[in-house]
Amino acid sequence: MIEFLYTNAWGAFIVLLAFQIPFLIVFFHIVNKKAFADSAPSKTKPEKYSAYRHGWTALVLVAFVVVNGASIKYMPTIVEANTAGDKNIKDVQVTALSWAFQFSESEFKVGETVRFKAKSTDTVHSFALHHPDGHLLFTMMLIPGAGTEGTLVHTFTEPGEYTVRCLEYCGIAHHAMKNTFTVN
Amino acid sequence: MSAAIKIIDKVPFFGGMFRVESNELNPVNAWPSLMAMTSFVWFAIAAILGVSMPAIQFMELGSNWYYQNITLHGAAMAFPFVFQLMAAMSLHRAGACLGKRADDIFVSLFYIFMNVGALLLTVAVLLGFHVTYTVMFPLPVVGVMTGQWSMFTLVLGFTGIALVLTSMIFIYPIKILRMSFFGQIDSTLQVAERSMKDPGMIGMVMGALVLLVTGTPLMIVAGSLLLHLYGIFPAEWIGWAADAVVFEFVFYIFAHNLMEAMAIMIIGAVYSTLPLCTADGSRKLYSDKIAILALWILLITSVTSFFHHFFTMYPALPSTFAYHGNIMSFATGVGGALTIFTILATIWKHGIIPTPALFLILGGFVMYILDGVSAIVISNVAWNFKLHGTMWAGGHAMVVLIAISALWMGILYYHYPLMTNRTIDDSTARSCIKYFFISYIGLLYTFLAAGAAGMPRRNGAWESDWYIFGAFMLIFGVMLLYAFVLYFLSLRKSTALEY
Ligand SMILES: [Cu+2]
Repeated sequence: MIEFLYTNAWGAFIVLLAFQIPFLIVFFHIVNKKAFADSAPSKTKPEKYSAYRHGWTALVLVAFVVVNGASIKYMPTIVEANTAGDKNIKDVQVTALSWAFQFSESEFKVGETVRFKAKSTDTVHSFALHHPDGHLLFTMMLIPGAGTEGTLVHTFTEPGEYTVRCLEYCGIAHHAMKNTFTVN
Repeated sequence: MSAAIKIIDKVPFFGGMFRVESNELNPVNAWPSLMAMTSFVWFAIAAILGVSMPAIQFMELGSNWYYQNITLHGAAMAFPFVFQLMAAMSLHRAGACLGKRADDIFVSLFYIFMNVGALLLTVAVLLGFHVTYTVMFPLPVVGVMTGQWSMFTLVLGFTGIALVLTSMIFIYPIKILRMSFFGQIDSTLQVAERSMKDPGMIGMVMGALVLLVTGTPLMIVAGSLLLHLYGIFPAEWIGWAADAVVFEFVFYIFAHNLMEAMAIMIIGAVYSTLPLCTADGSRKLYSDKIAILALWILLITSVTSFFHHFFTMYPALPSTFAYHGNIMSFATGVGGALTIFTILATIWKHGIIPTPALFLILGGFVMYILDGVSAIVISNVAWNFKLHGTMWAGGHAMVVLIAISALWMGILYYHYPLMTNRTIDDSTARSCIKYFFISYIGLLYTFLAAGAAGMPRRNGAWESDWYIFGAFMLIFGVMLLYAFVLYFLSLRKSTALEY
């Protein structure tokens, strides 16, 4: 479950709802009560307000720390660091230019781990890899002249046609910047 | 009679929403009314362009129209609509609370620079300068070299952008700072006295300073480029400014903080307006201290959270900055959490009077928080790699502007009797709020779900899987446009105040 939350974009959507729905319920309950049901000043004691304030702040802090702490191992920087020294990684060069991609390789095997080394030669582009079902696996923003070549390590776990797109608007044929990887 | 009042009188339909009588309050009413009216004219244009985008895809009119309209829509919504509306309301509030004129040379220069600049940019875009409102530097220059648009449109477009930026980064903040800290108080104008200890006033000053401080580097870089385009600076002087990384960083340090400044300013305005709508007449927040603390947290944490715009640039962005941006983005959520607490505790403690003004403000606040959640989720490094560049990111930018405009429109409802001596049409206002909120919720979840499904933002050729999201964008977009029409009607059908 945790794996899914952080490795699939829909996981972010679930976490989003987990934050939003309780907020909506509490907010509407309080507004409805104090605007329509009973708008008289409430007799809640001052100590209760501070207790709620402390509890609420603590809850938010804990939630934020947990959500981010659990995400660390899924950050691309950490994934890459964990593969340092792994001799089986395949290096693949990606060059983005208006409006095409050039790859040193575009066919991969299931289970293969690839280190993409990407750069742009003209304007701002991105190298974005979409899962065969459409959701985004990762995007790398490529700024020309950024000095270092961007690298990102990805392991292909399922076979299929993976779409590569540019997700940074790069001119009147931006949408044409599209290609595919085949994973068998 | 003020020039602003004369212009309002001449404008069809929109003028009728903001007719201002000639009276002793004109120095705080006339120009803000003109600015608010003009902002809604820009909204009307931008909204039609917004709705046109899914329509262009359904009717297969081609990506050129799409990129033209996305550029115009974004630029018009962000600057001459939302920013100008905010400037109008904050100048009116600063004037009436601090007893200072809002009709001097700064205000008229702001108005001219903002609107003439936006017009020049519009002409450039219509002539082919399709760069989106984020400019995507070095795309404007690359586009000229590759024949996508002409050098003339680049110079025209950049001139327009420079005028708009000057109005936002220099003229408006300096005017707000002057009103806040300098000059004589005119007691006839000070109809709702407030001191600089008031959270609303503090939020306004913070917002102005953020614009000035984070915008100045962009002005230096963009100004150098523009002077080169005019032939004044030789190429060897501006090499540093033409570096894509330099430009992108100064651009996002400003663009990010522009949104944060507008948010801090509007939260300040909510803090000062909510107590005026309490049922027990206490005119107090739950706690001014906590409110001010929340504003400080929002201010301090938001400034450097801009790194979240560059997470996916790894490793050109050193990862330590990515972690910093991640932490600071969530820390803004702590400021948000304290704000939620202050607002709910105020409502709980004092009760509220359910007026349309307050309900649009509270609705706008809910919209702002719901969007804030989407913002912090995408500010986590791991999720950012899976959402950046999708409709999630584009949707966040759009819905935060909708939320901020709802909040200012609620504040405008509240101030409307003071500005125009008329009172809004209650029942039209109530249906406006209903449609506004439903369409917002619809747009929010449509954009975020589209992003989770991998639909790219700013893509002029939709694939079949994306049309379902496009259909919902069209439906809720039209509904939001309808909510705005109701808003306009609630002002047009206003009735004279009786004393
Ligand atoms: Cu591209």
